[in-house]
Amino acid sequence: MDEGCDGTGLCIDTGDGEFMEISLHSRNSFERKKNPSQDSGFEDRGSKSKKKGLSVSDFLTSRRILFSLSVSQNFFVKFVSHYGFEESKEVNRLRKAKESEDDAEQGWKLFGRIPPKQAPDKDPQQITQEFQNKLRSVAQPKNSKKSDIEVMSTTALILENRPQNLPTKDPEEAEKHRQQYEAMVEAARKKELKELKMKKKQKQQQLKNEDKVVCAAKRWTDEILPNWETMKSQKKTRELWWHGIPTNVQGRVWQLAFGNDLNVTNELYEICCSRADDRIRMTIESSEIYGNSETSSEPPSSKESSVELIKLDVSRTFPQLCIFQKGGPYYDLLHSLLGAYACYRPDVGYVQGMSFIAAVLLLNMDVADAFVCFANLLNRPCQVAFFRVDEELMKVYFHTFEEFFDENMPGLYSHFKKHKVTPDLYITEWIFALFSKSLPLDIACRVWDVFCRDGEEFLFRTALGILKMYEDLLLHMDFCNLVQLLTKIPEDISGDTLFKHIDTIRMNIDKKRFNQVLAVNKES
Amino acid sequence: MTELLFKIIIIGDPTVGKTSFIQRYVNDSFRRDYKMTIGVDFALKVVKWTENQMIKLQLWDIAGQERFTSMTRVYYKDAHACVIMFDLTQRSTFQNAVNWKKDLDSKCSLTDGTPVPCLLLANKCDLSHREVEQSEIEKICREHDFIGWTEISVKEGIMIEEPMRFLMEEMMIKHTEMEGFSESMRQAASNPEAIHLKQQSTVLATQSGCGC
Repeated sequence: MDEGCDGTGLCIDTGDGEFMEISLHSRNSFERKKNPSQDSGFEDRGSKSKKKGLSVSDFLTSRRILFSLSVSQNFFVKFVSHYGFEESKEVNRLRKAKESEDDAEQGWKLFGRIPPKQAPDKDPQQITQEFQNKLRSVAQPKNSKKSDIEVMSTTALILENRPQNLPTKDPEEAEKHRQQYEAMVEAARKKELKELKMKKKQKQQQLKNEDKVVCAAKRWTDEILPNWETMKSQKKTRELWWHGIPTNVQGRVWQLAFGNDLNVTNELYEICCSRADDRIRMTIESSEIYGNSETSSEPPSSKESSVELIKLDVSRTFPQLCIFQKGGPYYDLLHSLLGAYACYRPDVGYVQGMSFIAAVLLLNMDVADAFVCFANLLNRPCQVAFFRVDEELMKVYFHTFEEFFDENMPGLYSHFKKHKVTPDLYITEWIFALFSKSLPLDIACRVWDVFCRDGEEFLFRTALGILKMYEDLLLHMDFCNLVQLLTKIPEDISGDTLFKHIDTIRMNIDKKRFNQVLAVNKES
Repeated sequence: MTELLFKIIIIGDPTVGKTSFIQRYVNDSFRRDYKMTIGVDFALKVVKWTENQMIKLQLWDIAGQERFTSMTRVYYKDAHACVIMFDLTQRSTFQNAVNWKKDLDSKCSLTDGTPVPCLLLANKCDLSHREVEQSEIEKICREHDFIGWTEISVKEGIMIEEPMRFLMEEMMIKHTEMEGFSESMRQAASNPEAIHLKQQSTVLATQSGCGC
């Protein structure tokens, strides 16, 4: 310790076996130095000082250390040399600071923020030192092992000797000050306890959430899945369903929920797959003969070009995951699945958006099962309308969506009308890729969960939920900002927040459900 | 300071680099891993044209799959200009550029009935492999009334600003012409003998709001 103190004299043996560490963390040491008038004022005022924040500084006589700050002189010297500051200069300055402290005698100092009006103009040197102090205060927690002391570091009190030129304190006043001091210590302890409690609570909440997930997973595997047909429409199951299906059973539940009305088999997948391979080989060969398509001014037939496009799009599917790209583990699988589907349904072929749906399925089940799911999913009325680009039918969906939009958020709806923001501008992508291109993947999967519970109505409910979530923001935007926000939803959105907003969307108009309204619109 | 807003649509086959081009032009950035565009994406570029003239460009990045062309009519509506892109390394995208131009002209024109000014951009000129000759581009450009063409490289940032500046000049000329046209229309409309022109002027009046 002596070594560390050498030359600076900042560690003071207080005579009763304890060391006093004067914290260098304090801004006050230089505050005093650069503002001697204030210091002297504070000395002169003596025991009658009432100045806020300094009043505690002049009453105690004890030489005990009340709190020691965690930054020791040792560390400071290390810090200084580490950061390449001129040590001697620094030491000099510290010595000066110490001298001025000696002049001022020792007393109480309250650490904390300095009120702005007390902060005089700073010269560059002071700013440098302040910066050093700041750096040090950032580095400090790492070097402090006693976390309980660390809590105090911002509000700690240091007891220094009562200045000798001051008269002895009146015992009554001393007692009062002792009580005040104890109250402060008590308050600090309480604060610390409170923080500890908070941390504990957070941890408990986290554990609770984890428990919930484990519990839900157990219920899905043990109760719901074995009795799927009876359980799937029960209220309890549906409630659990709303909170998202645990990832370990997600694929299984999707499979069950999407069903297999088309009776697609694994063999069928194999057949389509090999046919797709042949076709791809053919297109590659034909394109190698330069000038093959030279004579035709017509675009290549859509079937062929859609097979070509698969190749291009597979790599552009979830690029951030780096698994669907060439050389990635899912590149071939995604390619086969999409190729097989184009063979299975040549009337539909490959349409952009499909690669995202297929990719999400592949992430949750093996490729043959994914194909079965994919085929059945794309056979749903809404998906048929969109992937066949049946304009009339798409318009009916858009129109129905707008009715529910108006019903749920009339203000925002008329704002959109005013700025000519029509649903086809933003909802197209949401529906085509079932939100997997627009929302973070985990949230998109949760949308899928409820989509397989509630059907296509939920896609439009989710769309309205997104609008609801950004309602206040959207109300103040013009065309450009509106469409930019809706086609690029921020990546940091929270699933729980979104689902809270989705929950507020009512899917009834005059007691008519979405499908009923849709049916009416289809006829007219 | 006056402000003008123009809507520009960017069309062309998939993976010719439409999204990349817009990102390069607006943010001067380039990535290898863009997701494909489904439907339409949007971007905004603000250009200081003269000391007291700002131009806002509303860029409509339209999905390239041929399947969607039936949906594009609503995206083309009220466009002031168009950029058609193709990929120099893929001949089919060049052949389709003509189809995109035909599609555009069949679906929309400017308020005075003239075709939407359209620029032809030949992307990926940084790659050594190429399937399209300059003479061919020149020929198509003249035959199909493009206002101009150039080779560009979005990846290397070659010729990004220049063609857009050219397009803006074209739009400004059109804009001034139309202002004058609209002015003479208004005068004609106030003349009771020129009733047949009145209809046209109403069309103009609604168009001046022009969805932008």
